Amino acid sequence: MNLAQFSANKEVTFIILLIIGLLVFATLLFFIWGKLKPEANLIELKLRTKSWWTMAMVFILAIVINPIISYFAFGLLSFMALREISTISKNVRDVDRRIMIWCYIAIPIQFMLAYYGYFNLFVIFIPVVMFIFISFMLVIRGETTEIGRSMSVIPTQLMLTVFSLSHLAFLLSLPQIAGFNAGGRGLLLFVVFITEINDVFQFTWGKLLGRHAIIPKISPNKTWEGFIGGVLTTTVLGYFLRFLTPFSVVESLVVSFVIACAGFVGDVVISAVKRDIGLKDTGTLIPGHGGILDRIDSLAITSVVFFHIVYNLYYS
Amino acid sequence: MRGVLLFVTYQVFMRNFLRILVGVKYINVAELNKHAQFILVANHNSHIDTMALMSALSYSQLKKTHPVAAGDYFGISPLKSFITRLFTNALLIQRSKNAEGKNPIQAMSASLVKGDSLILFPEGSRGEPQKMQQFKKGVGLLLKKHPNIAYIPVYMTGMGRILPKGERLLIPFDSYVVFGEASYSHTDDTEAIVKEIEEKIIALGVAFQKSKFE
Repeated sequence: MNLAQFSANKEVTFIILLIIGLLVFATLLFFIWGKLKPEANLIELKLRTKSWWTMAMVFILAIVINPIISYFAFGLLSFMALREISTISKNVRDVDRRIMIWCYIAIPIQFMLAYYGYFNLFVIFIPVVMFIFISFMLVIRGETTEIGRSMSVIPTQLMLTVFSLSHLAFLLSLPQIAGFNAGGRGLLLFVVFITEINDVFQFTWGKLLGRHAIIPKISPNKTWEGFIGGVLTTTVLGYFLRFLTPFSVVESLVVSFVIACAGFVGDVVISAVKRDIGLKDTGTLIPGHGGILDRIDSLAITSVVFFHIVYNLYYS
Repeated sequence: MRGVLLFVTYQVFMRNFLRILVGVKYINVAELNKHAQFILVANHNSHIDTMALMSALSYSQLKKTHPVAAGDYFGISPLKSFITRLFTNALLIQRSKNAEGKNPIQAMSASLVKGDSLILFPEGSRGEPQKMQQFKKGVGLLLKKHPNIAYIPVYMTGMGRILPKGERLLIPFDSYVVFGEASYSHTDDTEAIVKEIEEKIIALGVAFQKSKFE
């Protein structure tokens, strides 16, 4: 992959320019908004914009220089997310500390499987191989009190962070299809962009029209109005962005609709985990510290869902 | 030569290793740059503590800062003592129970007079992970002697899980180094100084936990 090919791929170039445009717009918007209304709490929004700048830059670098950067970047992101979830988790016993090293060793293996495109091993490595292996290592340590809880919590943490994000990397290893130019990069951009824009629209519609809470106990800010508004907007956007995918019109609508719903699921699942621990919402976290999980919450579910839809439709 | 070694160890290797792989995060680290000379007073849970504090220092501070370490632990063999001194700039003192006071304080005092900074762990030993022990009064004696030198209270959390006492395997966990505001000792009462510092570190911890949890 080099600069010439990069500029030759019109679809990808267009969406990258669009993303940079949106990021510039968002940065300026929050800056001016913050100046005009200093009392508005924009830390969360500003942090999100900042982390998306980083993601966008890594992505562009990966395309221009070498795609292998993407695998390293997603691997590092998985690692930091796993570290975060294992730190805040109260459900794991002190004796399980050493088990975590196996989870960290699993990260390079999983991303290597993604890089070489060993699909069959890739999809079972964490849910099956690591699941059995971690249980067995817990048994070897010999501490049986509450071992069942550790056997379920640790593999779940791996699933939510490493397994999910590695699917984004695997998109880049998918083979070329005749007549579909954007390729894995297009698919990756599509799912990440749709997921994030869905978050933004669910938030915005909720702020504008939100009345009826969906799950007040877990996420008081999630309303039916925000959810429906977000899903509809995202579905329409998916139709316009279908040039990044091999989808037909109907497929693009259905897939965007599914991503929008899956994004909501990821959001509330991570919220529920945080509630259980007693962690506050990100907005009140010390700026610049922690909070990786909050950035990837919806992506943790949409990446897997999207990958398997695409794989089953076009690559199997 | 020594400077190059410290630079490579902390500024190049340790800082990035701790931040990226281990997960150490610094809060209010700018406080360090406001003072030419200081005594860092921190709670102690792990060998990571010293590494984390040394990595927070700038290059010029690094050369002039000595973590105060137990001679009866790190100086037990000539090799261990040599390695400790070489890589950490450590000031090894004896923490024997009967001769409390005198000698160790003089050694620390001497390096303060030279214009150097110190890193102190008044808990004395790493103790149980994530639990704070009663502070020893050495820090009080020292500050009584040097009321014109600023001390910076530091609260550290999470290091006890990364590398607890008695463990050899380092496991990454998110952990935090929180620097407090620098201040000076106002009284001649050793116990009062120790108590004030202890309370400041506990307060830093409470404020930090509160900002993270409900």
